[in-house]
Amino acid sequence: MKRVYLAITMSLLLSSSTFAHFQMLYTPESALEKGATIELREVFTHPFADEHTMDMGKQHDSEENNPVEAFYVINKGKKKDLLNTLQTITWTGSHNTAAAYKSQYKAKRMGDHLFILQPAPYYEAGEDIYIQQITKMVVNVAGAPTDWDTELGLKAEIVPLTKPYSIWTGSTFTGIVKGNGKPVPFAEIEVEYLNRDVNLDTNATGPSYIEAPQDSFVTMGIKADANGQFTFGLPRAGWWGFCALGAGSDKEYKGKELSQDAMIWVQVKDMQ
Amino acid sequence: MKKTLVVTMAALVLLSTNAFAHTALMSCFDEGDGTITCEGGFSDGSSASGVEFRVEQNGKVILKTKMNEYSEVNFKKPAGAYQAIFNAGEGHTVYVDGNDIVE
Repeated sequence: MKRVYLAITMSLLLSSSTFAHFQMLYTPESALEKGATIELREVFTHPFADEHTMDMGKQHDSEENNPVEAFYVINKGKKKDLLNTLQTITWTGSHNTAAAYKSQYKAKRMGDHLFILQPAPYYEAGEDIYIQQITKMVVNVAGAPTDWDTELGLKAEIVPLTKPYSIWTGSTFTGIVKGNGKPVPFAEIEVEYLNRDVNLDTNATGPSYIEAPQDSFVTMGIKADANGQFTFGLPRAGWWGFCALGAGSDKEYKGKELSQDAMIWVQVKDMQ
Repeated sequence: MKKTLVVTMAALVLLSTNAFAHTALMSCFDEGDGTITCEGGFSDGSSASGVEFRVEQNGKVILKTKMNEYSEVNFKKPAGAYQAIFNAGEGHTVYVDGNDIVE
């Protein structure tokens, strides 16, 4: 009987940790009044529950983690490579530590700075699959909109129809899920709230702000419509992540199934 | 007559509000090479190319030009206190103090 309980507990733990992986591309403030050098943290985690932090780029056939495949920013249509700004760090989550990155960026010019992070596929042993989340985040300087809605034709991409840095608490975010520039009908999207402080000095996440009333509130599952479009109401200030599962065209990596996901982060502000 | 005038004025005010619902914006930075770059724009994303730009020192205009095709102006950093001014018309003027312009 004890063994049955243990098996059930293990399967619950596994199921909760294999889903809702979110590639974080974090900076404290996405709407800057003027140009500044900003801190960025690139961490593969579970932003609401923080039950497990993953080693970015983990492989099934090697002890070495594969490096990030692409990291760049676009401002006023000009692309700047940021791969060489990434420094490896160890991230301390609430339950474990994992390989992650930190970087800095000089957001000097006015307008939108559209960041794209394409990590190496991550091997998820619990499901024997790889996960690659192509992640988008936008920082704006001085309020002028320039690049936030640019469609990049990524393998997996959420194209925002709402400025990701200009959302009041209680309003909504709308986006279109695309794979290689084509809408993904009825795409499955996971939504999570970054439910904790991020300490840039210690590279660690803090305790939960709130507890979910039930498991379905930890990672909220929604679906896009027939045109790949979705809208989600945002009830609380802070960072929210949207992850469209398997939206990308690549379906296999190293002979194993690959879930190539599209990720976008939006920051919500209280009206006060 | 009086009523017609009031209605016309109200309509004009409404029209002008609609026409200029966007906000004028400017952001400046020190290039670190003895020059300053100021970028202008509007909250609706429209270009600021051709908009008047001034630099004033002690109330005197020391530079008067227009934003270029990229909605930018680059100028030699003045010695002492100064103000950069983006003038897109009444109610659409942005002042940036030289002390706030850093690298």
